[in-house]
Amino acid sequence: MGNGYVINVMSDDRPGIVAGVSAAISDMGGNIESCSQTVLDGYFTLILTFTLPVQWEIPELMKNFAAAEGLHDCQFMIRTMKDLPRLPEKKNPNVFVITAFGPDRKSIVAAFSQYLAGKEINILDLYGNITADNSFVLISQVEVNPKSDVKNLQLDLEELGEELGFTVRLQHNNIFIATNQLRLDN
Amino acid sequence: MLHTDEVLSTIRMLHSEHLDVRAVTLALNINDCATPNADQMCKKVQHKIMTRASRLVEVCDEVGDKYGIPVTNKRIAISPASTLLAGHGQAAALKLAQTLDLVADLCRVDFVGGFSALVQKGISAGSQAVLDSLPEVLSSTKRVCSSINAASRKAGINMDALHQLGHIIPAIAKADEQNKGFAAAKLVVFANIPEDNPFMAGAYMGAGEPEAAINIGVSGPGVVDSALRRRIAGARDSNKKLTLAELAEEIKLSSFRVTRVGELIGREVAEKLETSFGIVDLSLAPTPTVGDSIGEILKTLGIAHVGAPGSTAAIAMLNDAVKKGGLFASSSVGGLSGAFIPVSEDATLADAVNRGHLVLEKLEAMTSVCSVGLDMILIPGDTPPATIAAIMADEMAIGVINNKTTATRLVPIPGGKAGDKIDFGGLFGASPILEIRNCGASNDFVHFGGRIPAPLQSLGN
Repeated sequence: MGNGYVINVMSDDRPGIVAGVSAAISDMGGNIESCSQTVLDGYFTLILTFTLPVQWEIPELMKNFAAAEGLHDCQFMIRTMKDLPRLPEKKNPNVFVITAFGPDRKSIVAAFSQYLAGKEINILDLYGNITADNSFVLISQVEVNPKSDVKNLQLDLEELGEELGFTVRLQHNNIFIATNQLRLDN
Repeated sequence: MLHTDEVLSTIRMLHSEHLDVRAVTLALNINDCATPNADQMCKKVQHKIMTRASRLVEVCDEVGDKYGIPVTNKRIAISPASTLLAGHGQAAALKLAQTLDLVADLCRVDFVGGFSALVQKGISAGSQAVLDSLPEVLSSTKRVCSSINAASRKAGINMDALHQLGHIIPAIAKADEQNKGFAAAKLVVFANIPEDNPFMAGAYMGAGEPEAAINIGVSGPGVVDSALRRRIAGARDSNKKLTLAELAEEIKLSSFRVTRVGELIGREVAEKLETSFGIVDLSLAPTPTVGDSIGEILKTLGIAHVGAPGSTAAIAMLNDAVKKGGLFASSSVGGLSGAFIPVSEDATLADAVNRGHLVLEKLEAMTSVCSVGLDMILIPGDTPPATIAAIMADEMAIGVINNKTTATRLVPIPGGKAGDKIDFGGLFGASPILEIRNCGASNDFVHFGGRIPAPLQSLGN
């Protein structure tokens, strides 16, 4: 992991971006360790970690990716990866899902995320979208401290939702797994 | 990782389509409370139930809050009172019932089931004490429910017991005249009674069960109906032909999801109460709330008037698909597991009765392919006892011959005539009194008494 890097790629969505990035890493003799991509409203973004056989300076790496075939219209951000020990992934029994529905308006995400930050609740995943009837849907998977009073968090979030004209719910992740997947729980 | 559409469909199911956990029932064996002194027996019963059940409501609410799904009813089911009442009389039966009522109140549960007796082959002294005390017990207590198993595939149909019940049921209703005879709705007469049923009024704890168990009754007619409506609308919009097999598949998918909710909640409640997890009952149980109706599902399936030809076939398909979907969703399925058609508790069924589309005989036909029987049927107060016994005998015969559970919950309305509208309020709903045709024409048959022998199907060995 001594020569580990994390790269973030952003571009208009089109075919060939992952092919271009992975070919560039391959040409440098590198190995991809993990990656995740998503497309939102026609924009592509990719986060990817990789290791290289020798150490590269960040500006040199940036130049290398920018010059790689098929990546001319992409923006890159690259960092050296921290040398953290790889721990086996732990299943957290306290993952909850927040769902919020209401008329679209400014500062919805800000209001909820500020509340969560204030309670030291970590956001694991976030999705937001405007629906056909101009409502905003916010879905967030969050890690709740096992010592937290879930009922109070629910009441706080409902109150916050009411102020914003939103219907808000906080429910344990397993209800969504049980009702949609073959296994019963996480 | 969850998908957005999965989260949204679960939210819709939980919050727009009336899905709840209908009943979490703590079943308890109280046979060790038997003693010749009735007061001592009642003390032991109170102590035992309070020790095991005092946290039931609190735990159900805590788990329900965690998953964002209400546990609507919390209940207790005991081993049959007839066992405790062996060697006792009516006075002890009443004391026991009053104790159960008190304990239900202290534990904040809505009902205690199991003031019951198994009389399919004969009536023991303890069972007779239960039967004799029913009018006073059910009219003077609020939360005590009773069930009598009067028939089984192995024993046949105990016509003497049914004849007695033909007298007892109107007596219960008459003793509760100020509540329009509602007390009779707390008694279910069964053939092939399930030992792990979580639903009232028929819940009791059977002899082969553990010391204590959590049994779960899920519901969700609204979820099934909405899924069918979406599927039908989707096919119409895209000009696709939709068959009944595809609709049955849609019911299976909904049933899977509904059952999973019960399994998740049940396991966690059982763990927190340090009790074994019993079963999930796959029944679809309607309530008078609009959109929470089995009748509505039949309408969505294309039966414009519930009770019209096709109603039996449609409910058979629904019942079967519910089981197929639920079976894979749960590690342990039991109880009644089928679609209920309690008339007064289902606004669409009650409306069909009111319009003359649905009659007793058609309901009886429908119960031969679904759960659980002639349920919440209001009948005229002057229906002769032998006719009441004969209605029950017909329903028992369906269960005994077809190797399934059937039951009756008949409420003779004191002073009530066919067509009168009766409103019990709340979950028990409202319905017109059904017409009983050919009243009195079964008297001789019932008066022969004795037992209709066990059918050929009982000789399976």
